[in-house]
Amino acid sequence: MDTEAFPVSTNIIQFPQTWLATATQAGHDRATRHPRPEDVHHPMPTPATSPRLFSRAWSGLLLLILTFLIVYPTGMLLLGALTDANPVVDGFANMRLSLDNFATVLANPTVHAALANSLLACAGGTALAVIIGLFFAWIVVRTDTPFGGFIAAIGMLPLFVPPLVAGVAWAILGSPKTGLLNTVLASMGIGFRFDLYTLSGIIFVFGMYYAPYIYMFTASALRNMDPSLEEAAEISGASAFRTMFTITFPLILPAIVSGMLLSFIVMLGIYGVPATLGAPANIPVLTTYIFQLTSWSPPRYGTAASVAMILMLVTGALVVIQQKVLSGRSYVTVAGKAFRPRTLRLGPWRWFTLALAVIYLFVVVVLPTVALLIAAFRKFLYIRNFDALFDAKQYSWLHFDRLFSNPATVDSIINTMQVGIATALIGGVLAFAVGYTVARTQAPWRRAIDVIATVPVAIPGLVIGVAYLWAWIGLPGGFYGTIWILALAFVARFLPDTVKVLTSSLMQIHRELEEAAWLCGRGTLSTIATITLPLARPGVIAAMTLLFVLSIRELGSSLFLYSSQTMVMAVHLLSYYEGGNFSVTAAFSLVQMVLLAVLIGLTSLATRRATPMDAASGLGRAG
Amino acid sequence: MKITRRAALAGIGTLALARQVRAFEPFKPSPQLLAAATKEGRMVFYTASFTEVEQEVINAFNKRFPGIRIQMVRASGGQLITRIRTEAAAGKLSADVIDHSDRGLMKEVENLFADYAPPNAADYLPSVLISPKLWPRLTAAWSIAYNTELVKNPPKSWMDLTKPGYEKGAIGQVIAPSGGTTWTRIMFERQVLGEDYWKRQAATKPALYPSGAPLSDALVRGEVQIAPLIYNAIMPKKRDGAPIGIFFPPEGVPIVPYATGIPKTAANPNAAKLFLDWSLSDEGQAFTIKDQGNLTSLKSPPFVPEGFDPKVAKVWVPDFTQFATLRDKWLEEWNTVYGYRQ
Repeated sequence: MDTEAFPVSTNIIQFPQTWLATATQAGHDRATRHPRPEDVHHPMPTPATSPRLFSRAWSGLLLLILTFLIVYPTGMLLLGALTDANPVVDGFANMRLSLDNFATVLANPTVHAALANSLLACAGGTALAVIIGLFFAWIVVRTDTPFGGFIAAIGMLPLFVPPLVAGVAWAILGSPKTGLLNTVLASMGIGFRFDLYTLSGIIFVFGMYYAPYIYMFTASALRNMDPSLEEAAEISGASAFRTMFTITFPLILPAIVSGMLLSFIVMLGIYGVPATLGAPANIPVLTTYIFQLTSWSPPRYGTAASVAMILMLVTGALVVIQQKVLSGRSYVTVAGKAFRPRTLRLGPWRWFTLALAVIYLFVVVVLPTVALLIAAFRKFLYIRNFDALFDAKQYSWLHFDRLFSNPATVDSIINTMQVGIATALIGGVLAFAVGYTVARTQAPWRRAIDVIATVPVAIPGLVIGVAYLWAWIGLPGGFYGTIWILALAFVARFLPDTVKVLTSSLMQIHRELEEAAWLCGRGTLSTIATITLPLARPGVIAAMTLLFVLSIRELGSSLFLYSSQTMVMAVHLLSYYEGGNFSVTAAFSLVQMVLLAVLIGLTSLATRRATPMDAASGLGRAG
Repeated sequence: MKITRRAALAGIGTLALARQVRAFEPFKPSPQLLAAATKEGRMVFYTASFTEVEQEVINAFNKRFPGIRIQMVRASGGQLITRIRTEAAAGKLSADVIDHSDRGLMKEVENLFADYAPPNAADYLPSVLISPKLWPRLTAAWSIAYNTELVKNPPKSWMDLTKPGYEKGAIGQVIAPSGGTTWTRIMFERQVLGEDYWKRQAATKPALYPSGAPLSDALVRGEVQIAPLIYNAIMPKKRDGAPIGIFFPPEGVPIVPYATGIPKTAANPNAAKLFLDWSLSDEGQAFTIKDQGNLTSLKSPPFVPEGFDPKVAKVWVPDFTQFATLRDKWLEEWNTVYGYRQ
């Protein structure tokens, strides 16, 4: 695969190897070949003057920032779950701590149903994502299927589609009564009807849209794998497929398990897809239930926070399970020698794999885009039959006119860009500081820093939004109501993702280079500025791009933090969706997708320029 | 041929969705208020109504008073009240006007609001006023709507929605706990249409929707064929040409007066006052009836919607005490009857 064809994804691909490194240190050490700081014996590099004081002050500062960003709001969330009070309104003095909310929640049959549906939907979605993602990783990295680079690049697109947009598109396509797919089937005289307003519908959309996560994890593992074991299997007479299932896939198990874990956790927190597909059939999942609890009047935040705690417990349990699965086995496949991953020649079968890839792209990219185009340009979505689809009189720019006649639309785009840039810059700096401290130094309390920076992974955005509001509204000054409160919430929320991307990038830079700088008399900061940062530049840009994209998509934590001056696109999109207008929602979705495509294209250019330097350093990624 | 005629009838319908029933003077603010409001030049508007609907109101207001920029914060009822209470407690309430469909929740935060009464305060029905600080800027009304492409024998009353023979999911219903608006309707159903109305209606196996807006879109798309809807949620779609028929059922029209007021902490109180004075004036109420499909809480309406005869239609307002006291218990019962799990 031409990994440089789509630099964003290329760089994102790096993070699997260290993802959740904290929780799976044992597995991690076995599964990757990066030297850990402890393995390299030399003293903590520090400036000449009072080194211990400096590193303590530094760790203390980081802990202080993380406390403000993560510990304090999470504490507010816990407080909300344990009381029925709003800490800002009622004051701490009037709170009575009790486990009533938990008791109510645990006894509520809807919660049981929502939990069961969530687990089923995410398990099914993850299974489907593994099948699709692993298959694509394999054909892109290890076979001579034509257009591999193109498949890899386009296959990443679903990652950039906000879940609400995906949900709306598939509701238009797959509604049992009015879905476009069913209209087409009816016109062809076929009796079969799709029904995506079901649990299997949610699983299908989850699997399709989160396959790229599995792809990211497994592609890089496949690329970094020494092919000699596979060769040994084939020499011993095993068929290609037998080799794949008995050697290749078992060897990249850590990557598969990490990918599964991440996609499962991400699916658990998704609101848009189950809201659009599950609601019409009254299929509750945890996120839609939490959202309802906050929307009902009167709202029930205590209950919502308690349900959120269930989500956190599920996530925590998954991390522990992953650790258990991966510990005690050896996955060392990479020795310190150069190799190239083997390419399997498929012969005529390569057209078959290409056909499968084209079908996937058609289903995931073309169909939903067509659905959104029809919805956005058609005056009304009542479609009597197939022929009515081609009635030109029904199409107009009406919904776009309406969208842009609202000044809040353009404001929301500008605000979103500002918040995105602020998030990317602040988050990039903080993540670099955290990542460098944890991965490259012996600074005190770095384990604590690492653990705290990983916590936000487990907290659903819909609930942490109100916790941020409670935590930060009381701060003096004009912080509340500015874009900065949104940016800081996003920085905190996506810190785990950003740190992991950056850490893996840092780990690829051999310490020899930094040591050389120290030997030449440079201090730590100077070394970072002249050696580490320039070498890690692609990783830094990747992390910032990821932050930018995630902050554009983020809905849950924006809901309570935006103000009249700082409305963002995700909230604006939701308000159109809640206003019951699929057509304007679709029009705005298209605007958002075009904007994202342009931005990613620009970043891709910027990263491309950075890549040759990375390669020249001789330390670039393998494969 | 049939379709052509129906389309033609729909076309006529859009021209006659509302009719004027009495003459009224255009709104004219005092020169002092207008000058003070223009000097402020902006205001922040919190609403639990819908973005698109309220943007039309803002556009209409700005046509009359272009110098005042209105910024809207829209959230669902529960989320909006949380924001208001939290911001107020932290001393950071940024709203100049707050507008909410749930009068019960607004009554609880009444002390946040400044004394305010519009110039035509005496024209309002005393029965819908719950506080001297809060006014019914909007008065929404329940109607029954159907997709004219799919329904050949439209229902004619609330009771028709209980007849056996509807296929599963043909009727759409908004869930009772969605907010004050729906709570008003289900209270009406039980108190006016009969203790067993819910049970008989639920027997038709309606499709349940979280709120009226997605249900109105589902009705246009044909996902459901018939649905009780707030008139203002469906009328604009019919006006724009969607295949929709709407009527006000003869047994009664539950109405939902909003509660709107100006917080004591408003940074732009004059702009807020101008906006509310205009909204509550004959002119402003005529606009929300004619262009948005609302009713009004004015004793004598300046306009009425198509199919609504104020002499015949039985407007139903919930008893405000019962609105609060019956709520939890009845919602729970409704959830059980409709098999909706909360």
